[in-house]
Amino acid sequence: MIKFINVDKIYPNGFQALKNINLEINDGEFVAIIGLSGAGKSTLLRAINKMHPISKGEVYVNGQEVSKLEGESLRMMRRNIGMIFQSFNLVKRSSVFKNVLAGRVAYHSTFKTLLGLFPLRDKKIALEALDKMGILEKAYVRADQLSGGQQQRVALARALAQEPNIILADEPVASLDPVTTLSVMDDFARINKDYKITIVANMHHVDLALKYAHRIVGIKNGEIIFDGPVSAVTESKLIEIYGRKLTSDDILGE
Amino acid sequence: MAKMYTLSNGKVVTEPGNKSIIYLVIVLAITSFFMLFIPIDWKAINFRNAGFILGQLFTPTSGQTYRDYFAFIVSTPVLNALLETIRLSFGGTLIGALASVPLAVLSARNIVKKPWIYQTARAIMNFIRTIPMFVIAVVAIFFLGYGILPGIAAIAIFTFGIMTKMVYETIETIDMGPVEALDACGANKVKAVGYAVFPQVLPIYLGYFIYCFEINVRSSVILGFIGAGGIGIILYNNVGYRYDRVGGVILLLFVVVVFIQSITRYVRGKLQ
Repeated sequence: MIKFINVDKIYPNGFQALKNINLEINDGEFVAIIGLSGAGKSTLLRAINKMHPISKGEVYVNGQEVSKLEGESLRMMRRNIGMIFQSFNLVKRSSVFKNVLAGRVAYHSTFKTLLGLFPLRDKKIALEALDKMGILEKAYVRADQLSGGQQQRVALARALAQEPNIILADEPVASLDPVTTLSVMDDFARINKDYKITIVANMHHVDLALKYAHRIVGIKNGEIIFDGPVSAVTESKLIEIYGRKLTSDDILGE
Repeated sequence: MAKMYTLSNGKVVTEPGNKSIIYLVIVLAITSFFMLFIPIDWKAINFRNAGFILGQLFTPTSGQTYRDYFAFIVSTPVLNALLETIRLSFGGTLIGALASVPLAVLSARNIVKKPWIYQTARAIMNFIRTIPMFVIAVVAIFFLGYGILPGIAAIAIFTFGIMTKMVYETIETIDMGPVEALDACGANKVKAVGYAVFPQVLPIYLGYFIYCFEINVRSSVILGFIGAGGIGIILYNNVGYRYDRVGGVILLLFVVVVFIQSITRYVRGKLQ
């Protein structure tokens, strides 16, 4: 479970990215966070695994207060949370397998991981993660040889290799073409359903969010102004979240 | 100076002033400071001498043929000395390049966020880079004795300085996305460097290694002059006396450097 209690985030330059956020996300949910760029979606997501520390309030993940964690305990918390990025963040020169194996580094000593001495079990976990994403045959190909959709699947496999119970996705399909976008979103839906992994995704495209997520969190100027199931989302709510009528930029279309 | 454009809708756009004339004046001032007041003793200049020695370098000495000229180049003492130069250059480059890795990581601002750490690391690097290789070699001979060992030490320390600088500058240009991903996986700093930084830097690092090796083969010649090993001793013994032999050694070094460069090209091609 993820829980925000009265969370504020003020950046060093004085910009307040989050204002009094209260949010509870239960295990197994698929939550889409929508809003304009700059509304605070990314900051909210990164507050969960303390990639961005918060300024005030409390964030709990699986009962632990994240803002209090540091060093080793922070890393132990992070290894249970997969993260997906807009630009995939793979080491392009390394093989797909090595990229996925990177998801296992927090489980072993620094010495062993630097020498690549992973137990057989971990190598199997990595290969199985690739298999779950349907790209097992690409295991020993360099990551930059793959298409954008395949690279995002490698990133998903890396997250799965962590054996996480939460996956955070920051604009996971924003660098993909419309067709690939749908298949990668299908992957997220499948991961959520089959492995009961909580998914929290920042989405720019409203129609995608409505199609794939169970619950929508609308954020504007750092505040949550809508939080409810997809069925409760109305046109007027969306206009409120976006501060204007939706344009074609806000919709992927099919 | 500043150009202004009035658009049809009445808006006015001001072009920023062109500063290139100011820069030109500054460049000219700096250049003239360095170049204009070099004392020249016109009587001492003798282009004939230059031509004479150049001719001597690449022709056999009187009473000898080109056969003798090339026989010297491939004679056992010369080739042994060359082998020694290559060995001490390679050994020194390898040690220096390996030792530079930790300091380079500590000097990189995008990896080490604490200013006092990377500033200290850079201060150490800059201090080492200030010491001329010649001085390092003299000191090394003082406690290692004559021979190849002080040569290796001098080249290792010299290489350590330049490799640290080149590698940390390379680290600062990498894509930080993978580092962020490793952080999010729960990797510690060392793991993130090993998995996200090294793979990105490695091909460039190997390129720098070969580049340093090539520089060191040439610059290590000076080490022979002071007894720190290598082919320099043969140059030292023949300068001012047998210019044909000096020229022969220069040709030999030229061949070696070209050979190393062709390896560089091959390896770079493989690493892309």
